[in-house]
Amino acid sequence: MKNLITIGLPSKGRLKDKAIAFFDNKGLKVLQSDKERNYFASIKNKPNIKIIYLHAKEIIQRLGDGTLDIGISGLDLLNESQKNLRDKINIKQKLNFGSANLVVAVPDDWIDVQTVADLEEVAFDIRSKRNTRLRVATKYPNLTNSFLISKGVTQYKLISSLGATETYPFIGSSEIITDITSTGKTLEDNNLRVLKDGLILKSAACLFVVKKKAASLQPFLNSLD
Amino acid sequence: MKSKKLSEQIIKTFKSSGFVFSEPDVLLDSEYIIQRSGENFKRSMLTFENEDGKLMCLRPDLTVASCIKFLEKKSKSKIYYSGQAYRSTDKKSSDLISDQLGIEILGSKNQLQDDFKVIKTILNSAEKIKSKKIHIKVGDIGLFKKLINSLEMPERWKLRLIRHFWRPKYFEELLERLERNSDIDSVAFDSDKKRFYEMKTMDQDKVIAGRSVAEILKRFNKKIKDPRSFSEGKQIVKIIRTFLKINCKLSKLDEKLLNFSKNNNLKKNIFKEFKSIQNLKKLNQKVIFITNFGRNIEYYTGVVFEIFSGKKEIARGGRYDDLLKSLGAKKNIPAVGAAINLKNI
Repeated sequence: MKNLITIGLPSKGRLKDKAIAFFDNKGLKVLQSDKERNYFASIKNKPNIKIIYLHAKEIIQRLGDGTLDIGISGLDLLNESQKNLRDKINIKQKLNFGSANLVVAVPDDWIDVQTVADLEEVAFDIRSKRNTRLRVATKYPNLTNSFLISKGVTQYKLISSLGATETYPFIGSSEIITDITSTGKTLEDNNLRVLKDGLILKSAACLFVVKKKAASLQPFLNSLD
Repeated sequence: MKSKKLSEQIIKTFKSSGFVFSEPDVLLDSEYIIQRSGENFKRSMLTFENEDGKLMCLRPDLTVASCIKFLEKKSKSKIYYSGQAYRSTDKKSSDLISDQLGIEILGSKNQLQDDFKVIKTILNSAEKIKSKKIHIKVGDIGLFKKLINSLEMPERWKLRLIRHFWRPKYFEELLERLERNSDIDSVAFDSDKKRFYEMKTMDQDKVIAGRSVAEILKRFNKKIKDPRSFSEGKQIVKIIRTFLKINCKLSKLDEKLLNFSKNNNLKKNIFKEFKSIQNLKKLNQKVIFITNFGRNIEYYTGVVFEIFSGKKEIARGGRYDDLLKSLGAKKNIPAVGAAINLKNI
């Protein structure tokens, strides 16, 4: 079909509901497929728009390779992605949901560590005493790297994590973590504490557009303002 | 080929000065390098996973690769190398592959003699291949450490400044913080003190995320005793900045340092031992001493130098007494070395 617009929306949870609500509020009613678990949807009276439900991370990838034209996903995921992907994607609008912070967290009982400066000292301590590195578990290696290096923490090693990162310090997989948190409850319940100056990124859901197609999508994007 | 001929000529000088050829491994265990240089360096390494899932890299630097070989007891102490190093940078124009040609004295027993030997050998080779006027710039990281240790300021600040001297941009941020005296807010301490007393009654050997309770409490204790607010930050930063502006002929250095100490009410003798630098007067060359120098490579610990032909830097090197230990040596193995910058020849 001519002028087909493909939109990627998060496939799960609150982010999915809020993303659908965002379109609904603009008078664009999202129509679910009859089959409950189908990953495709459409918009009422807009036959040229196709909606695909994807993992939030995947949305960034598919915007990057041009499979999607528009997508809703997290700013954290865009900023974490490789530069060649970021270069292809525009942030059209920061949305008022999905807000969360990427932070550096340490075990609560590391009472001597309150700031990144403390962490830097402890990292050197660990290195000089044991000739090993402070291990930082994370799902966000790129953002974590830039943040720590900019704050003078150089003596560490990243441990990549896929989930439940909060457990890592207590099962011997890492000493500290960086993770995304919206209320701080999960960190707190797992005996972790955010460093005073440990905010890496203030993230929120965003409406992303493929840079190359921004001009041709403009009429549709106007209806979202 | 012109460059090949030049390399041969340089190597001849190395050999006649008693350096023996060493060919370090091309493939190295990445973990080993990251363990030493941290995660940031990983970005510039060319890595791949071997069939066992182990992360390997192409040697990013011939000094590090030579040190590893030395530690495996596969090379002599006084060596030269000639080969390629592989490293990616953010700059688009720079090559992944660079030719490196240099000398190292690993396990340097006589600092004075070996520092001189390395500089002299490099200078000799430079003179043979270059017609333009040669001059040398030198610095000494050790002098900076001496200055910092002589200043009255909290221990943690001293260590911080020394640790980050080789990262000028971050170092400047530290100075700005020291100037404003903005460190850690005192409010946090009251709430933490309660937990401190609780933790004192715990099993001191208990490990919390890799650190024992004893270790945590010890550092906490040290931290609250280390003066938080001290008002001399501004004055101290002024002294450091003045020091980092010293840039003079080697022959004037004694006088300069003496004046510097006098003007800033420092003890006269804080800089008394820098014989390696003084020794360079024997080179009979134009030598410029710069305090703000050699700050781009983490592992230098003492003398650092660059040799220029006209405006082009054609060689650089320095002393690195901690590198071998950080690569796994059981004890400190002092070392000094230098490399020719073939691109500029």
